Amino acid sequence: MSTAESLSGQSTSPKAPAGARRGIDPRGPRFTASVTAVALLVVLFLGLAGASLAATILVAVVAAVFAWAAAAGVQRHPVGAIFRLLVRPRLAPPQELEDPAAPRFAQLVGLIVTGVGLILGLVGVPYAVPVAAAMAFIAAFLNAVFGYCIGCQLYVLLLRAGVIKAGVPQAGIAA
Amino acid sequence: MGIVTAALVTGAVLVVATVAGLVWRAHTGRVTDVSGRAESELTGLLGFVSGPAPAEPGTAATLLQFSTDHCAACGPTRRVLGRVASEHDGVTHLDINLTPYPELARRLNIMQTPTTFLFDGAGRVRGRIGGAPRLPELLSALTPILEADHVHS
Repeated sequence: MSTAESLSGQSTSPKAPAGARRGIDPRGPRFTASVTAVALLVVLFLGLAGASLAATILVAVVAAVFAWAAAAGVQRHPVGAIFRLLVRPRLAPPQELEDPAAPRFAQLVGLIVTGVGLILGLVGVPYAVPVAAAMAFIAAFLNAVFGYCIGCQLYVLLLRAGVIKAGVPQAGIAA
Repeated sequence: MGIVTAALVTGAVLVVATVAGLVWRAHTGRVTDVSGRAESELTGLLGFVSGPAPAEPGTAATLLQFSTDHCAACGPTRRVLGRVASEHDGVTHLDINLTPYPELARRLNIMQTPTTFLFDGAGRVRGRIGGAPRLPELLSALTPILEADHVHS
């Protein structure tokens, strides 16, 4: 009757779900995903309706937020700050905390998708911005509305394909 | 493209995303019966288990979870399965981090994390769960395994 936590010497307290790594309120990334999903839907509409300049500017802003979150962490970017300062004080304390690695990976995926769309759009590829916005929108929407986590699926598929390689075997996911 | 067409296409993308989300939610966390799959015998997998101590399987059942380093659902799943193990005699929860073992993910055809395998006391695979397990479904899959073990012992 042992658990993985006890085997790897990890705490089972919900306050410390990721060992030494500090957990975050899982509603923070969901809030960020809601904001980016709405912005990406607007980009999609503007891009399709012919307002290319507005779509390009807005997708650049979204890509910048993705880059900020991927580089500095999911709490240290403008939308995360809005959640921390304005939204979270109005909510009950979270039931459990989340490892920030997964939402950070999702922000990096968002950056790559919107960044490629932005660059292709800038060099004149037609519909590059709305197509990239539609792809990123679907991922952000699934995360915001259904709690789908792209890292849970895409990361293991990239591992299988050999795109991501682990350096040395680690003692455990939570270690 | 005119404004009306643009609005229709945007609406269609919204519908596609909603349908995809509903389909995903209908399937995630369900227990699939995979009895008799030889490639997922428990003994061949124990060496990959995370943690310093040699992994000991459960005498009645083992919940073997596969995780990665970038998986939001893995931590909550680890806590739920740990609780199930601590509340049932002879049931053990083990965790394998797939990040260093991509060949294991290929061999077991793991498409998402967490993926959990349910083994009986003899180390035979009985069930497979993709995504965060649904607790009531997991418990009803576990019950016949624990009862059979009780009858034989």
